[in-house]
Amino acid sequence: MTMQSEELQPEEFGQAAQAVIAALQGQGPAEAAAAMADAGLFGICADEAQGGLGLPLAFAMPVVRVAGQMQLSYPLPEQIPASKALQGTEAGGQLLRGEKSLCVVMAAQAAGDWSGVARNGLQADYVLVQTDAGFALYDKAALRCQAEEMLDPEVPQLWVSTTGATPLLTLDAEQSQAFCADIKLLWAEYVNGLCAGALERTADYLQARVQFGRPLSAKQAVRHHLARMRLLLEASSAQAWRAQRADGCDAPREADSALAAALSQGAWVLEKAIHLHGGMGFTWELGLHRSLREHKKLDACLGAGALMRAVGADFIDRCEVTQ
Amino acid sequence: MKQEENFARPDAASGPGAYRQYAREWLHSHLPAHMRADSVDYRTPSLDECRDWEARMYQVGLAGMTWPTAYGGHGLSLREHLAVNKEVGALAMPESVSSIGKELAGPIIMAVGTEAQKQAFLPAILEMREYWCQGFSEPEAGSDLARLRTKATPDGDDWLIQGQKIWTSGAAKAHYCLLLTRTGTVADKHRGLLMFAVPMDTPGIRVVPIRSIDNKQSFAEVFFDQVRVPDSARLGAADEGWSAAIRVLSIERATNRMYRAWRFECELRQLVRAYQSEPALRGRLQEPGLRQAVGQVVSQIDGLKGLVERSVEQLQAGEPIGARGSLTKLYWSECHQAFASLALSMVADINPGHSALAQRAKAHFTQAYLFSRAESIYAGTTEVQLDVIAQRIQQLTKD
Repeated sequence: MTMQSEELQPEEFGQAAQAVIAALQGQGPAEAAAAMADAGLFGICADEAQGGLGLPLAFAMPVVRVAGQMQLSYPLPEQIPASKALQGTEAGGQLLRGEKSLCVVMAAQAAGDWSGVARNGLQADYVLVQTDAGFALYDKAALRCQAEEMLDPEVPQLWVSTTGATPLLTLDAEQSQAFCADIKLLWAEYVNGLCAGALERTADYLQARVQFGRPLSAKQAVRHHLARMRLLLEASSAQAWRAQRADGCDAPREADSALAAALSQGAWVLEKAIHLHGGMGFTWELGLHRSLREHKKLDACLGAGALMRAVGADFIDRCEVTQ
Repeated sequence: MKQEENFARPDAASGPGAYRQYAREWLHSHLPAHMRADSVDYRTPSLDECRDWEARMYQVGLAGMTWPTAYGGHGLSLREHLAVNKEVGALAMPESVSSIGKELAGPIIMAVGTEAQKQAFLPAILEMREYWCQGFSEPEAGSDLARLRTKATPDGDDWLIQGQKIWTSGAAKAHYCLLLTRTGTVADKHRGLLMFAVPMDTPGIRVVPIRSIDNKQSFAEVFFDQVRVPDSARLGAADEGWSAAIRVLSIERATNRMYRAWRFECELRQLVRAYQSEPALRGRLQEPGLRQAVGQVVSQIDGLKGLVERSVEQLQAGEPIGARGSLTKLYWSECHQAFASLALSMVADINPGHSALAQRAKAHFTQAYLFSRAESIYAGTTEVQLDVIAQRIQQLTKD
């Protein structure tokens, strides 16, 4: 199928993804992956010659946003840019077709033997690990891995050590930089999606829940909390939108900034969504905790706060006084 | 200073990129060091200096960009306007002394004024011959303009105006007041509101400056005691001027002072460079906590840029902005206030023995912190903006 991006709108991809993800309820990872691959979700940005749709990242943004909104636990934000970065390789083809899945380990938590931690990956076949030289792809079976269930017993984090293992392939500096910018932007929009879903549910609940004869949404304190949630979500979404339009040397910086904003502002939005549900918010059954866990796992994978410090350090370095 | 002829102005087809480059080169070449807030040579510019600077910017095509050529504008799109604003923001130049005229009075006159009014007022605003002030707020009517009391009574071919305005920025220097009055009583609420262009030298007008916490007198109370104006001073029919003001305000909240995000970035750069200029302070920039705080500000600036650029794209696509201007206004004001607090705490470390650049930053950010207290008050308080977002964007029910 030939795709002309000028004839398509990114929002349409979001709507299509919503229908696909809604139909995944109750399916296992393999069936879910097959359904998403059939819908072309993994190959949005991969070249047409490689079986993808050859579209810009802007078309993947609404897709991962919907994934966040609908609390999809499958690593879609990872697999879309990986299918593009690894296109032309056997692993790239498998990811694009949904035959294999992948998790990503960033270097922020590398220490001692550990290369870092992925936000998920228990089911993954491949691990893409960030090093000082760029990204390297490993067969997960060849690595020492340790699941960590403290933050999320349902979808645990995965600590990974590549010690003694040989990578299947490595991305060069340019490929690594492009993949890194892409995945950070998709993660940012995924977090924005988590927040959008939480805000929508919270607003609906507060308009339906009546106390003292009026909906809770009539109370100014409650309305202002929801307004602030909307404000932060709008700002973070606009920032991600702006960052995906950046090109050249600004792209990596903008991606870092957008992801840092999504994480820092998203935490407030998700925590407030739980708070505004009262006791219900604290229950397992309500399920808002899943969005908060996804957020916190991603934050941990990136080294909480490290991204924001890097954004600050980059700005400071670029300010250097020229005498 | 370079000659104007060394700078070739792009034509309309050149696109935003060419305008941005042109603006960058012209502004950097022509803004005197003593008018740059981040320069050690800075001194507060006089009103005449500000006027001359803005007039020159207009003459070379860097102001009045989106106004129609029939009224002195350059007939370009918001995209070129934004491109130039990015460079206006990136340079620490003085704030416009005619923002009310350019961003409020002018667009309203364009919307509801007669052809004679447009020809009389609009070119004079762009050429910096006439300044305007905005007579909306009253002691009993701030954000709730339905309660305003200033009365306009017909008297032959004239109108007699009686009442009082407050928080009127630039009233002492203004040539005209964009005045909102009512023809009936407060019980009429939003009905019967009438707008006028009132010359400030009309007998019966008294301006009483108000001293603000930054030790300036930039706004004032304005009293109207049986002020007689001709019917030709009326802007639109009853309710028409107000409707136009609402429309303009909704767009302006999203697009006015479009340079703010880039000026915010310019201020952050000034603060960091002041620290870098001083060996005793330079090491602090390596502290993780300070880097994280700077990162937070940078990230907020990028978010603000996103909100502004998205608004421009939506307007260019013909989409209404509506209440969305409240998002930009609220986000900017709160982020900038937080930054001003951070900046004040940082410049507290600067002592009289430190560099001239550091001293300049201390003076600038002390003043900026004090002025920033107004940012969550003017143009609709934080609480008003939150109400707008809750009601009109999030569309929350009340019953």
